[in-house]
Amino acid sequence: MTLWNVDMTDSEKWSVWTLGVIALTTTAYFIFVALRGHGPATISVFALTALVAINKRSFRSVIGPRFDERESEIARKALLTSFRVMWLAVVAGFVITGHIKGWDTTLSLPMWKLAEIFWWLSMLMLAVQAGTTLLLYRRGNNA
Amino acid sequence: MPEGRPTIRNHIRRLRFESGELSQEELGKRCGVTRHTIMALEAGKYSPSLLLAFRIARAFGTGVEQVFEYGDIGNPGRPVS
Repeated sequence: MTLWNVDMTDSEKWSVWTLGVIALTTTAYFIFVALRGHGPATISVFALTALVAINKRSFRSVIGPRFDERESEIARKALLTSFRVMWLAVVAGFVITGHIKGWDTTLSLPMWKLAEIFWWLSMLMLAVQAGTTLLLYRRGNNA
Repeated sequence: MPEGRPTIRNHIRRLRFESGELSQEELGKRCGVTRHTIMALEAGKYSPSLLLAFRIARAFGTGVEQVFEYGDIGNPGRPVS
């Protein structure tokens, strides 16, 4: 039995696939860091997130019976939740860094570290979006 | 006394049975939604839009109030005003 034969909506399949890709990328990241050290080359691991787009369900149709009002509502709530979490993470990042480093400190960091922060935020958003989607399909989205 | 959470209950399962075991797939096609949405409606996991409620009622050839019922969870028999 493959993921495509399971009785799930396209959005659920996309979510399962996406969570799998994130787990794979995270594992690969830590293996890479353990073997090669933390450096500019580390961000090459994040290319694995492109696997999200390989999934044929990643191009979900956004109209018609395969993406009806319930699907659309769940997708909207999941996206909104992911943006909220990302916003909280960004604010928390600034506040924690400010408290640790001091608010009048000038930060300078290499471009690859900035890119890495961006990748982690993207992965966080995708994970929250996929997780929320699965949760809403299981629990119901009347709440 | 606090009121229970308002909910919309439905009789889709019974109406499907009375319509000669109309499948969820077929009902979904008639209403323009997926079978999963019909399943969620029957399980009480989703409250439909007004448009979908009318489409479902029309699929059964009946009125919306024969398919859906507005009440509260704490007191199911009591309609919410």
